[in-house]
Amino acid sequence: MTGREVVELIKQHVGVPWNENSYRDTFKLGNPDSTVKGIATTVMVTFDMLKRANQAGLNMVISHEDTFWNDRDETKDLTANHLYKTKTEYVLKNDMIIWRIHDHMHAMRPDFTVVGSLRSVGVKGGEDSIMRPRVLTIPETTFGEFASQVKRLTGSRAFRCVGNPDAKVSRILLGPGYATPKMTADADVVIGGEQQEADGGFDDVEYVADAASLGMPKGLIMLGHVISEQPGMEDLAKWMATFIKDVPIKFVPAEEPFWT
Amino acid sequence: MKKTDVSRRHFSLLAGTLAAARIPLTAAGPLTAQEVVARIQTNLGAESSANSTDGFKAGDPSTPVKGIATTAMATIDVLKRASAGGANLVITYEPTFFGRQDGPTPPPPPPSSPPPGGSNRPSPRMFIGLAADDPVYTAKKELIEKSGLVVYRMRDGWQSRKDNEMTTGLAESLGWTKYRVKPDDVLYDIPKATAEETVAYIRKKLNLRGGLRAVGDRKATVRRVLLYPGTMTPTTMWQRYEETDLIVAGEVREWENTHYAADIFTVGEKRGLITIGRVVSEDPGMRACAAWLKTVVKEVPTQWVTVGDLYWRAA
Repeated sequence: MTGREVVELIKQHVGVPWNENSYRDTFKLGNPDSTVKGIATTVMVTFDMLKRANQAGLNMVISHEDTFWNDRDETKDLTANHLYKTKTEYVLKNDMIIWRIHDHMHAMRPDFTVVGSLRSVGVKGGEDSIMRPRVLTIPETTFGEFASQVKRLTGSRAFRCVGNPDAKVSRILLGPGYATPKMTADADVVIGGEQQEADGGFDDVEYVADAASLGMPKGLIMLGHVISEQPGMEDLAKWMATFIKDVPIKFVPAEEPFWT
Repeated sequence: MKKTDVSRRHFSLLAGTLAAARIPLTAAGPLTAQEVVARIQTNLGAESSANSTDGFKAGDPSTPVKGIATTAMATIDVLKRASAGGANLVITYEPTFFGRQDGPTPPPPPPSSPPPGGSNRPSPRMFIGLAADDPVYTAKKELIEKSGLVVYRMRDGWQSRKDNEMTTGLAESLGWTKYRVKPDDVLYDIPKATAEETVAYIRKKLNLRGGLRAVGDRKATVRRVLLYPGTMTPTTMWQRYEETDLIVAGEVREWENTHYAADIFTVGEKRGLITIGRVVSEDPGMRACAAWLKTVVKEVPTQWVTVGDLYWRAA
């Protein structure tokens, strides 16, 4: 089975019309017609993750995010970059293939990134979630307690919170990755991956800080991109295993990059 | 008793001085917010561009100014502290009303045709826009108006100065002014320390809570630091990372610059990336702005009101 054949099977099963104009969901590196020995799914094809996939005998990497450190995976400014050369050579030398699935994952029903992220923070009822943030209710707790639960469950070292830890909360609105939703009247806590901190389409940080100053029970949790979208890539691997049976498919996590 | 008398005498003397000082002002009329801004623009000497988001965001520009406060972001907490400190004109670098639009915006229209990939895509209204009856917006606007405050955004104007002080302001807060490698650049050769020690130092100097995050080797030796308040693009990082042991930026995009820093770490290069938060990184530059304003507007006091680190970490 070749990389191209794997992608064809995904296209047949994804359940939405394939958008050939997506600049994200394409082959990024390697020969699509190489033989696939095993498949690794991951949120971010970091060099560290690539090496672990290779050592595990998984030569096709299906990544939710980019390979070359920019969303469009443009390489014209990178041809002389030594890290670009090193990463590229490693992939080619080991006959690896990198393919990205981003846009179509967010179009699928359910959207595994949302489902996985909700599960990872202990919010039930999101098993059928799509990329349209909707409010889910948890038993009432304080924002600080909820944040501690998120820390315990995700194991994240570096996620950030805004708002009053003593606020009573129960209504959760989650959008993973860069799709951090805006705070609404019917939500107490917004959970996202990352967001431009100010001067964007909607600045959750300032909004939630101001709401807290006004005594409104609002909280914001910024999980970080990897922690936020990673869990859904395990769901993707399981889903792929239902229609690709000839090669092993494993979820190979990227590490949370931060220390504090 | 005696003490009270002295205070009274002191007070009347002070009052007399103030009254005397007001005479030329009274002749010219009170200095309004509009006039302060006009004077700032004259002294900046830069043409404002049509796309600029600079401008009055709340309050009445014809309000006589009693005092000026500069800040990186006019949060409610900042507005209250500015007002308590005697300022009624607040000059903010970032928006007041939760986004680039800086005020209520009509919700984006529904898409005219189904988006590619099916109808599962979220509507932009889940991510952008602010309703005119939003409770936080209306409460903040009311607070500004009731307190007699005027809020002016000055980002592009302050950025346009030849001597951009966003970076030097941050360096000053870090105690690194004298370590600047060359004028007009953003590199600083600081006393050697490990990345871990440098992080601890930065956290202490900037009085940080939970916003700082670091990538790279904790034990790497740091000497040459690149300071980059605001948002750093991947291109800038690719171009300049090799010159440095450590980049200290406001914010980046994690799937771009953070990913790059993680890969650099994997190949064994001892370079680090620290993001301290966009607003925290811009805070010191607005202290520099207050210092500059004092040289331009002498009739009323100018103060800097720090935003501080809005983030905390879970226990």
